[in-house]
Amino acid sequence: MTEIEQQDIFHQWLDQYKALLFKIVRSYAFNAMDRDDLFQEILIQIWRSVPAFRQDASVTTWLYRISLNTAIKWTGKEQKHTQAESLDKVPSILQEHALQTDERLTWLYEEIYQLNKIDRSVALLLLDGFSYKEMAVILGITESNIGVKINRIKKQLIMQSKKGGHHGI
Amino acid sequence: MEFEDLQKIWDSQSNQYLYTINETAMYNYIASKKKKTFLIANTSELFLIAVNLFTGTALVFMSISNWKLMFFPILTAAWMYITATYVLIHRIGRRKSDRLFDKSIFGNLTHAISTATYQVRLSMLMRWNIIPIAILSCWGVWNKKHSVWITGLILLVFVIAYFASNWEHGIHQKRKRDLEALQDTLQK
Repeated sequence: MTEIEQQDIFHQWLDQYKALLFKIVRSYAFNAMDRDDLFQEILIQIWRSVPAFRQDASVTTWLYRISLNTAIKWTGKEQKHTQAESLDKVPSILQEHALQTDERLTWLYEEIYQLNKIDRSVALLLLDGFSYKEMAVILGITESNIGVKINRIKKQLIMQSKKGGHHGI
Repeated sequence: MEFEDLQKIWDSQSNQYLYTINETAMYNYIASKKKKTFLIANTSELFLIAVNLFTGTALVFMSISNWKLMFFPILTAAWMYITATYVLIHRIGRRKSDRLFDKSIFGNLTHAISTATYQVRLSMLMRWNIIPIAILSCWGVWNKKHSVWITGLILLVFVIAYFASNWEHGIHQKRKRDLEALQDTLQK
């Protein structure tokens, strides 16, 4: 594959699946600095993955696989910026979209963020309508394991929604 | 609320763009990457020049200390002076080319990639440069009728240096690839 071909595919993916990447970044990164850091890391990994892409999987599955693996590794890699004070000093590369103000979705993301790093991936894939089989392929765990995790995640989200009663939930 | 309701919330909004990309922050991010790349290039150039000049001069002094010129140390010293001169000339060229790049985000990034490319080439040349120096050194030691163990030990040091240099070269290549990926993201 030539570099121009790689570039074209990368542009096309970024254009079509930007929302997917943003969802993962938001689910895994606590603050603006971390979101920038993770976003950059995911883009780099996707760029590198382009020549390895074979048509046997859909682009969405492929991108989820690369991005979630990157996010999971990134989460365990180092101490992240958990101090809110650092946010004021460095302007963020990713800025929250002004139109995005729905409290219920914000609440849902917060709940996803409370899950462990593997369950976060499962929750994202579940909400995006992936089958157990596809999730198993993306995450490299068995379908039965996926089933167990999904049950647990669903129970937790439902319980939290009943407990909270705020944010319009 | 049931899970189906949560799913509806997700479906209705999760495909909207949650973020936009802040150009100024992107500029600062790239500027810091550029600074880091220049610092690495600068340090490695100065280090190479200093090491080659110092070792070359030391070899010259050792060879003429008893008023008898020794062929291999002098040849090795000459090679090291040539290496130092090569690095110096390319450093001057690199510094001159700094003016060719504008201060836009793209210009900064192109500049950083240019410096990273230079660094990759330099580290590759320095890796290959270990081979003639190793040959000259081992040959010189062997010629002075030192034991095979000493020659072997010197050779081992050069082999380790070669692999260390290879590892360093890999780091520079990775940095260059990361910058290129960033440039591609920016062009979109």
